[in-house]
Amino acid sequence: MSDRVESDELLRIEGIRKTFPGVVALDGVDFDLRRGEVHVLLGENGAGKSTLIKTLSGAHTPDAGRILVGGEEVRINGAQDSERLGIATIYQEFNLVPDLTVAENIFLGRQPRRLGMIDRKRMDADAAVLLERVGVDVSPRTRVRELGIARLQMVEIAKALSLDARVLIMDEPTAVLTSEEVEKLFAIVRRLRADGVGIVFITHHLEEIAALGDRVTVIRDGASVGQVPASTPEEELVRLMVGRSIEQQYPRERPDGTGEALLTVEGLTRDGVFHDIGFEVRAGEVVGIAGLVGAGRTEVVRAVFGADPYDRGSVRVGGTPLRGHDVGAAMAAGIGLVPEDRKGQGLVLDASVEENLGLVTLRSASRAGLVDLRGQHTAAARIAGQLGVRMAGLGQHVRTLSGGNQQKVVIGKWLLADTKVLILDEPTRGIDVGAKVEIYQLINELTAAGAAVLMISSDLPEVLGMSDRVLVMAQGRIAGELAAAEATQDAVMALAVSTPQNDGTEADGGH
Amino acid sequence: MATDTLKKTSGGGGLRRLLLDNGALTALIVLVIAMSALSGDFLTADNLLNVGVQAAVTAILAFGVTFVIVAAGIDLSVGSVAALSATVLAWTAAEGGVPVPVAVLLAVATGIACGLVNGFLVSYGKLPPFIATLAMLSVGRGLSLVISQGSPIPFPDSVSHLGDTLGGWLPVPVLVMVVMGLITAFVLGRTYIGRSMYAIGGNEEAARLSGLRVKRQKLAIYAFSGLFAAAAGIVLASRLSSAQPQAAQGYELDAIAAVVIGGASLAGGTGKASGTLIGALILAVLRNGLNLLSVSAFWQQVVIGVVIALAVLLDTVRRKAGAAPAPAGASGGGKGKQAVTYLIAAVVAVAVAGATSLLHGGSDSGAKQKVGLSLSTLNNPFFVQIRAGAEAEAEKLGVDLTVTDAQNDASQQANQVQNFTSEGLSSVIVNPVDSDAAGPSVRSANKADIPVVAVDRGVNKADTAALVASDNVEGGELGAKALAEKLGGKGTIVVLQGQAGTSASRERGAGFAAGLKKYPGIKVVAKQPADFDRTKGLDVMTNLLQAHPGIKGVFAENDEMALGAIKALGAKAGKSVQVVGFDGTPDGLKAVQDGTLYASVAQQPRQLGRIAVDNAVRAAEGKKTEETVKVPVKVVTERNVAGFDG
Repeated sequence: MSDRVESDELLRIEGIRKTFPGVVALDGVDFDLRRGEVHVLLGENGAGKSTLIKTLSGAHTPDAGRILVGGEEVRINGAQDSERLGIATIYQEFNLVPDLTVAENIFLGRQPRRLGMIDRKRMDADAAVLLERVGVDVSPRTRVRELGIARLQMVEIAKALSLDARVLIMDEPTAVLTSEEVEKLFAIVRRLRADGVGIVFITHHLEEIAALGDRVTVIRDGASVGQVPASTPEEELVRLMVGRSIEQQYPRERPDGTGEALLTVEGLTRDGVFHDIGFEVRAGEVVGIAGLVGAGRTEVVRAVFGADPYDRGSVRVGGTPLRGHDVGAAMAAGIGLVPEDRKGQGLVLDASVEENLGLVTLRSASRAGLVDLRGQHTAAARIAGQLGVRMAGLGQHVRTLSGGNQQKVVIGKWLLADTKVLILDEPTRGIDVGAKVEIYQLINELTAAGAAVLMISSDLPEVLGMSDRVLVMAQGRIAGELAAAEATQDAVMALAVSTPQNDGTEADGGH
Repeated sequence: MATDTLKKTSGGGGLRRLLLDNGALTALIVLVIAMSALSGDFLTADNLLNVGVQAAVTAILAFGVTFVIVAAGIDLSVGSVAALSATVLAWTAAEGGVPVPVAVLLAVATGIACGLVNGFLVSYGKLPPFIATLAMLSVGRGLSLVISQGSPIPFPDSVSHLGDTLGGWLPVPVLVMVVMGLITAFVLGRTYIGRSMYAIGGNEEAARLSGLRVKRQKLAIYAFSGLFAAAAGIVLASRLSSAQPQAAQGYELDAIAAVVIGGASLAGGTGKASGTLIGALILAVLRNGLNLLSVSAFWQQVVIGVVIALAVLLDTVRRKAGAAPAPAGASGGGKGKQAVTYLIAAVVAVAVAGATSLLHGGSDSGAKQKVGLSLSTLNNPFFVQIRAGAEAEAEKLGVDLTVTDAQNDASQQANQVQNFTSEGLSSVIVNPVDSDAAGPSVRSANKADIPVVAVDRGVNKADTAALVASDNVEGGELGAKALAEKLGGKGTIVVLQGQAGTSASRERGAGFAAGLKKYPGIKVVAKQPADFDRTKGLDVMTNLLQAHPGIKGVFAENDEMALGAIKALGAKAGKSVQVVGFDGTPDGLKAVQDGTLYASVAQQPRQLGRIAVDNAVRAAEGKKTEETVKVPVKVVTERNVAGFDG
């Protein structure tokens, strides 16, 4: 196969560069894809993988560099262009319409027509052929809303095939699947590879590379830093991917002993979402929660904070039980939440830095309904200085701040409220390396001052580097707990893809 | 670095910066300059106070709506709630015998209660604010009609002083507006609930996760809006000395427009009391100025719409220029944006000046007598006929006639009559939306020694030089006689009523009922309002036919509804079902000719207009006029239609 390299080349990218205001997202990426291979894109969060596939799908146009499809240079200015070139992308969030049928979704916008009417019979028959090829047992007339995640993904793949895609880009397709489903997916990918489709496969799971991949391109800080065979040892891949030692990046100062338990959660359950969650976080301690996307991590911490209800179990702060689904009570007890969706849930984007910093303390700063504006201003100025928020002034709208500074504002509003237990949900997502370290320092200061931190992160090195203990969640349950010393990527991943408590497929029905 | 630039720019050019920061203020100033240039009557102390009075109700409503819009909601119910609160006050005081202070408290409580219901539906019922308050719009209006039984109720005198002036010059509504504005600014800027509104409007989820009690606060926010609506309703009713169940219709849209013109975003999170005040003033200056300039009633609406769009456009451009965090050295780009702002301001100025000077027909007539005619509506051929007769007579006599359209809104009519008065016209003709409500504004014309002639409907508690009217009661009786005799004195009929609460509907209905007493064989099986409107007439008649398929006759309190009913009846009209209308409009007479309308009790609207102008000119010249001039009504059927000419 390798002696026909030239004629087999489907796609080549040379020296792609893409900048956004204030950020260089891609800075010299080279990549190529052949017929019938699985080419893995490997890189940390924020390394530029998503930007790269968005330039291929037409969502972004590169500032410099060339894209060649089948040996000819092309410009991809939109989804139509990429479709015409036979490039299909399956994102982590599916582009399906829940209330249409599987067949309608596959042929959306291209439904076969007869006399101006949609020819349902032919559409369903065509869809059935495609679904058969993907190897999924779903009726074309099923409504998409009724399908589980794994099947949705198969429908997406069938849709890509219906477009006659020669290049299939899959963005972390295994992140949301159980191990059994992953095996099925791999079987489909192998079959497509045998049919001559070129597949760009993005994954964080190193063991999947050896199992499925042919070649690996590693991207770091927006540049491709190496192309290696998939058989390369994992340590070597990690070295290429991270490119620096983890010790420097995560300045965790571990306390000598831990204090009393500040937050105690027992038997917390919301039917169908998470089950029997129990853990405690002690003063001066950072507890990390690792797990795959969809494992229920965010749902658990939101329930702990009272933002969402739960069905059973208890949350106690310093021994005092908290009322469920009551943000006010959680705050009064000293819990703070820095939510996952910073812009959507953490900030009032068109309000000033000062107003955002004063949001949590607005109530306590009010006397007889009147806000102590001067006090709020002084407090905001103090905390902004302490956190080193880079801004034009306290009156600047937070929308115009960089991601790192926005996150400092979200954390700052909780610091003003003397928070004892701070819950951080993906605290460094989309933040540059420098600002990340500043936030880690902040976590250190908090724990040194006797607060407790509960941190969710999908960034595995971060969880390992910053946590004193790591809880691993899988399928809505705590799959295991690892002390800092025994927490390694492999150990965490092994738990993350496990099926806790061995009650397997009927995890929902058990309790 | 960036801090420096901020400081530098805020240092110099205070006024210029103030204008740039506030597009609406710029628009207001441009408007005032344009109006003063075009009309010598505009920039007088009296007229500016008029503008203040005319802005007051909209402004007070808009202050309440500002709270809601800042919190990313919307309140469509304020106009109805204002009318309901005023009705509650007048009814409890007049009919319930409750002491006036208690009645005022009840009115305010009504407003707050309506707001709480809105808030409850939005917060706990999870209804979209648009729908929840739309429902309240309907419920509020309905309840005020139920309580008042459709008729205006005289407002207690002690409360009516709210419509007067303080110390002989300062109008109390202006004072109330300023006080409410200060309260709004204080609540928004300094209080916990006010600051919460911005957070909720900016990002509700972030506010909730920061511990704000969003649901409870929404209750309070809508309650505030209801409270302000009640205040506006009381001011409105006291200006008219009468609580009108149909008052403040459509004011919610003016209030929302004022808030948005003032720089608030319907997406929430922004808005200020000062901006809202400016927005309300812009609307009032426009209406006042266009009245003074005698711009045609129809074109006024076009100009108002265009100015609203331009004012908001100006602010949007200004905001885009300001939104980019000006990095050092980008002053060139900033200047370009400023240039755009100035350009738009210039366009607004030219558009307003151009439109108004184009549209107002020659105010340069020096020695001519000037007469103002305020019609209740021009949305109905009858009144268009009055205007035609009046204009023809004015031309013949060589007087300058200005016609305004009150759009069936008593308070807008009060504004228009007030504007005529401050313009110092030689005489004013008023076709009252409501006889009671026209009283105060006609009284102030009396004070200024300007003779007033009423046409079609009388004015209560004020002096009029003459009342030119057809006899509606007699007309009703004649209509009953015509229909009953055609049916041979027996059969079932239905009555389509006019707009609830109008005197025309009451009098015609009363006359018809009286006339029908002589014919016991005729049974009225249904009476339903169709608001003098042809489309509604069609719908209501269609519904009635479902319930009463066997009817023999229809009496409609005007021709428009009769024509709607004929459409609903189809082939039956004029054959198995006889329809009698009222007014004798051209369309009505044509239907009589065609045989679908059996008869129309014809008024002679052209005559009304002609005689009214005639009397107004005589009164202005100091000649004697008859107190009441009755223009005869006449039943027009197929037999005499050929010879009839309204």
